Amino acid sequence: MSVSREEVLRIAQLAELDVEKEALPELVDNMSRIIDYVAQLSAVPANGTVKVFVPGPDAIRFRADEVTPAHLAFGPAEFAPDFKEGFFVVPKLGQFE
Amino acid sequence: MSSSWETIIGLETHVQLRTKSKMFCGCATAFGAPPNTQVCPVCLGLPGALPMPNGAAIGLAVRAALALGCTVHPKSVFARKNYFYPDLPKGYQISQFDQPLATNGTLSFLAPERGIVTAGVVRLHLEEDAGKSIHDRFPKATAVDLNRSGVPLIEIVGGPDLRSPAEARAYLQTLKQLLEYIGISDCDMEKGSLRVDANVSVRRAGETALNTRTEVKNINSFAFVEKALTVERDRQIALIESGGAVTQQTMLYDSKENAVRPQRSKEESHDYRYFPEPDLPPLVLTPEFVAEQQSALPELPAAKRDRFVATYALSREHATVVTSNRAVADYYENVVRAGAEPQAAANWVMTEALADAKDHQEQLRVAPGALAQIVALVKGGTLSHQAAKKVFGEVAAKGGEPRTIAEALGLIQVADSNVVAGWVTDVLGAHASEVGRYKSGETKLMAFFVGQVMRASKGKADPKLAQRVLEEKLTAS
Amino acid sequence: MSDAKAVADRLVKAKRLNALLTPPKDLRKSLAIQEAAARPTGVLYGMPVAVKDNICTLEFTTTCGSRILEGYRSPYEATAVAKLKTAGALIAGKTNCDEFAMGSSTEHSAYGRVLHPLDKARVPGGSSGGSAALVAAGAVPAALGSETGGSVRQPAAFCGVVGIKPTYGRVSRYGLVAFGSSLDQIGVFGRSVHDAARVLSVISGRDPRDSTCEDRDPLRLPTVPESLQGFVIGLPKEYFPPELDPAVRRACDRAVRLMKELGAAVREVSLPHTPYAVPTYYVIAPAEASSNLARYDCVRYGPRFDGRVDLRGLYRSTRGQGFGPEVRRRILVGTYVLSAGYYDAYYKRAQQMRALIAQDFRNAFDRGVDLLFTPTVPSPAFKAGEKLSDPIAMYMSDIFTVTANLAGLPAMSLPIGRIKGLPLGGQLVGQAFLEDEMIEAAYALERVVPATDEA
Ligand SMILES: [Mg+2]
Ligand SMILES: [Zn+2]
Repeated sequence: MSVSREEVLRIAQLAELDVEKEALPELVDNMSRIIDYVAQLSAVPANGTVKVFVPGPDAIRFRADEVTPAHLAFGPAEFAPDFKEGFFVVPKLGQFE
Repeated sequence: MSSSWETIIGLETHVQLRTKSKMFCGCATAFGAPPNTQVCPVCLGLPGALPMPNGAAIGLAVRAALALGCTVHPKSVFARKNYFYPDLPKGYQISQFDQPLATNGTLSFLAPERGIVTAGVVRLHLEEDAGKSIHDRFPKATAVDLNRSGVPLIEIVGGPDLRSPAEARAYLQTLKQLLEYIGISDCDMEKGSLRVDANVSVRRAGETALNTRTEVKNINSFAFVEKALTVERDRQIALIESGGAVTQQTMLYDSKENAVRPQRSKEESHDYRYFPEPDLPPLVLTPEFVAEQQSALPELPAAKRDRFVATYALSREHATVVTSNRAVADYYENVVRAGAEPQAAANWVMTEALADAKDHQEQLRVAPGALAQIVALVKGGTLSHQAAKKVFGEVAAKGGEPRTIAEALGLIQVADSNVVAGWVTDVLGAHASEVGRYKSGETKLMAFFVGQVMRASKGKADPKLAQRVLEEKLTAS
Repeated sequence: MSDAKAVADRLVKAKRLNALLTPPKDLRKSLAIQEAAARPTGVLYGMPVAVKDNICTLEFTTTCGSRILEGYRSPYEATAVAKLKTAGALIAGKTNCDEFAMGSSTEHSAYGRVLHPLDKARVPGGSSGGSAALVAAGAVPAALGSETGGSVRQPAAFCGVVGIKPTYGRVSRYGLVAFGSSLDQIGVFGRSVHDAARVLSVISGRDPRDSTCEDRDPLRLPTVPESLQGFVIGLPKEYFPPELDPAVRRACDRAVRLMKELGAAVREVSLPHTPYAVPTYYVIAPAEASSNLARYDCVRYGPRFDGRVDLRGLYRSTRGQGFGPEVRRRILVGTYVLSAGYYDAYYKRAQQMRALIAQDFRNAFDRGVDLLFTPTVPSPAFKAGEKLSDPIAMYMSDIFTVTANLAGLPAMSLPIGRIKGLPLGGQLVGQAFLEDEMIEAAYALERVVPATDEA
């Protein structure tokens, strides 16, 4: 197992995902296999001189500084799970505060 | 207790750039709109939306970097900073990480204890702002407003070069002045367009290594900078002196209690998982673009101050006051250009003009030409200093030409020696005993006689002329 | 010209495939409205085009095959969809797909698996399986899909239709729900090369809302060539390993012979870093996905599962229950490879390998090769459930397709024969922004290849 149970739980916390207890052993196994599999990349000698490849344009295009908001066919009240008095509403932040 | 301790402070300053539209979308940045009305798919983080960068924001960031003497990199890279927070719509902030816009600048400022200090600017990068979480709007719930989400910011990371809370304040003041000067931001801390976090550590005098530091956040007003850092410094010193150790953590400043407390957060060591933003190609700046930003920069405050010392023979102190603000400096120069003697103009700007501006929304209400005329009227003996202040106030409030107003108010000094001689005769006649004392050597009574003449003339007498006539009469008889 | 009712009827008839997520009632109503509004002068006037459910539309919900977007209506539409409508096409409903396009079988949809039109026990491929199946079933002449690692070409090969993935930056991604942003492109399915190509031509071209979309004119359609005289076709030897299914090899050999007969020169080439493509892909795509899928936090849209009192609890329950197992797995893998201490070993290494893979292609093209020809997939459509328990076996089905995504190159699949009645696809890989050459070759091959004959 290249990935431990504890690591999976730590990563799940970073990713804000609940992991059910029953699903954990299989998840640890799957993740370990995937990580072992992709780890073959490190078997290839590192080449620091390789230039990073980024697909798409070589440079950013600049937008003009004009107020041109993209159109919304309907407002947040229509798609938000909880929207009151113009605000998105969520439960208290709890441990965030 | 602090005499044997040294404080090490580095500031991270977030500055909102003065643009009409947001960093990556065309939504307005205007402050104070009803919640969630300046939003679109991009700044709401809707599925499928993509960022498109604002060229003006990039230009303003480059100007700030140049003004701070940074190396502006021809190629930099946007990166994602990943974390969950309800006002961070995409679950990541588009920022810059290992390839920032600019690095390695400096900011010189006048430190209260050490004189001129040159602090390092480690890096300056572009990023987008998050929205706003409001915790007291609804019971047991947090309200999220995303109008601010995506507003362009620069983050200026200062080196650990500040040695006291007062120094941090002076640094920040100088930085604010510089950024206002170059017009890239309104730097209003109350509106959140300038925010500062501080890294603070302490060490015993003579030590050179840096100790564990804490980050102080939530310093949301200029007045609190020094207070918050003092509290944190004292906390660290007390902790170490009682045998404890400082732990690396984030402290929140509570201005009501004037206290700091650790941020309640389970995952203290944030793992932001930075990686290059795949939705944006590299930020490539052509030499022409950078040159354009350079040429858009005005004369910077330090250069202006030095020039005022050289050109107008002002003291360094006066030049500093007059150049503290770009509008004031321009105003001063216009007063001088309109013919006022430079030192007198500086005196007027530093006192009457700034005091008046302070009471009137920073408006310099007396036109430079009018102030130059007032200065000239005083110099020529037409107005007493007291009278001139009255005229200034009148011009400020109602406008108009100073001489006309002075005449209308009957404030023109009488410089006719015959008329003055009449008042002098009256005064000497009414104060025979004082005349006697003067003649027996008590010459300091001259001030008293001048005062009496001014009183008799209802302030119209030219005081210098009055003194001359008094001297003549008192020695003649 | 097809009228709206006939279009809807055909789509509803294909219902057993579970390829369409739009309810028949909504579909009929919208098609009638769209038909009335369509511009008769548009080059696609009246053409029904089904759209993968990870592309934003105003007409229908956009769920990405996920519970976490159940019932979600986008308040804006994708640039590609807007361009289709401007050209007079009808948006013929939303097609089922692997959740957030993560998968190669369209079994990973919260709304059930899609059936292969020729054998219901088999998968149509994925992740754009719904689009491929509907075109193969004759319900629509063309459909939009999306590709991150072969999600158009692989199902096109499995279903026996044409699938094109354009050059990265050819089609705007605005409104395509992101999976792996540096790999994602909208692609097209067609019954024929022409159907696919003309839809691609309409959706291609510049977009001021996508920084990664090139500032270029739309793709110009080539004419059908008389021959392949002057074309140099490269056969990368890594794509024809000794263990390759003999029937797949036979079908490819036949296609190559036919291209030679049309005048093409054929040459063996080598793309030496090919063996590392799948592991490279399975680092970069999950890394980007872990970040792209952070926005599904049930703050601004989407349902909330399990009303725990504090927000962090709500995040975890909603994301834990809203995402399916494959998506959760990839988010975790992506989070892992980006996390402190692992970034250099995985993500950075994969970035370097990606550069080497892209360089392999440049080297081949620099040596005078115009196009590459390979099998699209090493095998025909597999049985449902066959690879579900083994994620790596599933990933290997992308082995011949992920390279074009990593290198950002245009590539397409077209039917070149069958094994035991199941379609096989041949893949053409072109040079960046030379889709026209690739399509020209495909036109010529399509005319001569016995696409439905056993190989
Ligand atoms: Mg920052
Ligand atoms: Zn916006």
